[in-house]
Amino acid sequence: MTGPAPLSGRQPKAVRSALAVLEEVVAAGPGVTAKEISAALKLPQATTYRLLNLLVAEEYLVRLPDLKGFELGRRAARLALPVVTTPPTAARAVVDHLRGLVRWGVHLASFRTGQVVLVDPDPDHPPSDGALLARYPQVSALGRLLLAEQPDWHALVREERSFTEHTIPAAGLGAVLEQVTGLGLARQCGELRPDRGCLAVPIRAPGDRSLVAGLAIAGPPHRIAEPNTEIVALLEDHAERLAPLLA
Amino acid sequence: MLRDRSPVHGLERRRLGAPDVLAQSVSGAAPSAAMAATPVIVAASAGGATVWSFVVATVLALLIASCIARFTRRMAAPGGLYPLTAKGLAPGAALACGIALLTGYGLLAAAALAGVASYADALLSRVGATDGRWVPAAVAVLVGGGVAVLALHGVRLAARVVLLVESVAITVLVVVFALLLAGGPIPGPGSGEPAAGPGGVVAGVLPALAAFIGFEIATTLGAEARRPFRTVPRAVGITAAVAGVLYLFAAHVQVVGFADTPGGLAGQSEPVLVLATTRGWSWVPVVLDLGLIMSFFACALATTSALVRVLFSLSRDGVAPAALGRTHRRFHTPHVALAVAVPVVVAALVVPVAAGLPLGGVLVTLLTLATSGFLVAYLLVCVAAPVFLRRIGELTWPAVAASAVIAPILVAALVAFLVSRPVSALVLAGVGVLGVGWWAGLRTRRPAVLAGIGVYDETVAADVAGRRVASDTGGSRVGDATGSGAATDLEGHRDAVGRRTPGRGSGR
Repeated sequence: MTGPAPLSGRQPKAVRSALAVLEEVVAAGPGVTAKEISAALKLPQATTYRLLNLLVAEEYLVRLPDLKGFELGRRAARLALPVVTTPPTAARAVVDHLRGLVRWGVHLASFRTGQVVLVDPDPDHPPSDGALLARYPQVSALGRLLLAEQPDWHALVREERSFTEHTIPAAGLGAVLEQVTGLGLARQCGELRPDRGCLAVPIRAPGDRSLVAGLAIAGPPHRIAEPNTEIVALLEDHAERLAPLLA
Repeated sequence: MLRDRSPVHGLERRRLGAPDVLAQSVSGAAPSAAMAATPVIVAASAGGATVWSFVVATVLALLIASCIARFTRRMAAPGGLYPLTAKGLAPGAALACGIALLTGYGLLAAAALAGVASYADALLSRVGATDGRWVPAAVAVLVGGGVAVLALHGVRLAARVVLLVESVAITVLVVVFALLLAGGPIPGPGSGEPAAGPGGVVAGVLPALAAFIGFEIATTLGAEARRPFRTVPRAVGITAAVAGVLYLFAAHVQVVGFADTPGGLAGQSEPVLVLATTRGWSWVPVVLDLGLIMSFFACALATTSALVRVLFSLSRDGVAPAALGRTHRRFHTPHVALAVAVPVVVAALVVPVAAGLPLGGVLVTLLTLATSGFLVAYLLVCVAAPVFLRRIGELTWPAVAASAVIAPILVAALVAFLVSRPVSALVLAGVGVLGVGWWAGLRTRRPAVLAGIGVYDETVAADVAGRRVASDTGGSRVGDATGSGAATDLEGHRDAVGRRTPGRGSGR
């Protein structure tokens, strides 16, 4: 048909070539053209074009606006393991200070990798599994901060899953995220675990206000559902103090 | 160099699944309607070679699909074929393609409404509840309104309706035709179809090719389709193949049905009805009418969606009024373009019918005019394909070969088409004169706008790895801009609210 031949496990050479093409785009940098890739890898031109079109169709690569040059697509970012950097001591001191003021668990997550990565989980109140948070950003307060910041949050929500009876279905998520952006505060009550709720505030770079991290507090869902004006104020205050240390 | 938002922002980007995109293309081609109507038209020219004419036409449609796929694997554009043409040929050719598409989609939408009205009229006439003039006109206005409402309420709703309606219509037609085939030839004195040579095949190709028009409608959903570089070329290719198979089947059934009848299929005027009524199946005409109403309705909806996206795109290019490029805040559809286009489409049908012209004649004229528009657009995009590939340094010999084969055939088809239909030629010439005027006006007053024609859904900063969350390079990438990347007015508003946060935080 008109589509490029699909790759199957029976075509090891094609898989190898496709990976080599990806690698070459990274090595050569943004804007490398099909001809250059073909020459560098000594692949036949028609094969290179077909592989490039396939990788573009799958969104591992994107064509730049001149339609000639290639760059790594958003999906390719998932191929690399997110690099987790331990926050500086000064930042951890701020988080610890907050832990001294409240009785609930306090967690710090980085969004630098485009996923929720817990960089300073509360040792006394262990949070939910980090892999779970990264995989289902829509059910955690921290994940909702990240989603609300996306031009198209659907791209990050890969699979819908109902963890508890309170889990909000994906259809209702748009309104929830609107609210997160409006309030600058994300909340979930018993949506991931029935006995746990969470409040989270964004930490933004002081210069360009881009979202770099999130500060969350986790406690019993019925208490989290309350307005918690004082706790939110504490969270925002500490987030403000963390911003210059993390960005 | 990378923009923060797509130049076609406002549409619902990257949301439509593959079945929805395919359904739009299939409905654009409206194979059910063509299955019933086209074989007899082809037989009038091709005689015994009817089936072969459809084989050739299917190959041609697949070649056109391959030329379109050269672009759609590499770029996604709501303007359909004209932004693609712009990447290969001069801006004037792209504008010509845009005008051809407006003509094609507009008249095809009107023809589809005429089809709905015509078969609804046939149904109503069984109970004597129609006058053949005002009733079908009213049906057309009502259906036009329904199409506008569905097209407004989001591309996904429209696509789902189209998918459902067209699947039912095709199933109905295939079942009816399978029953007719199982019945064998209707009894007659023998002789059947007169033999026809290669000349007959060639003469039959043109009407057979006309049965495919609209199969490229998926290209107008480029910006809205999920994984568009895979979905759109496949949808166009599969539509050409599926429609081809359906047409071959329908032609075969009808040729076999009249194998023992003097004059064969070519001697008939309503072959499917004759095949059914000879066997005493009086339910078939009713079921067929219902199936065809559904198919034409899906076609009207799909072509209207395509038409407004071409208008939207021309507006974003700056060559059409800016208002046409606005999108609805909630539904993310070009609502202003809809409000302008639908009344024109409905009027193209209702005015002649209300003036007393026969509905069937109006339907055929609209289809004929639409076909000439599509042929021009196909020709331009097929010529543009190898030039485009050369420009981006990805030219291969199959691309050249495909265009070298298809372009002369399309030129010949267009010439033959216009020569045999002087009225179409006149109308097309009129549209051409208006188009040249438009082009000349743009060239003298806004040459830069004309030169930049061909807006498409470019890669934006958010599509590229490592730029999703703004990095610490500071001012070069502004966080607020990332936040409004999808760039609907809605999110602009969201942003404004979001900025309150730091103020509130520091106030404590």
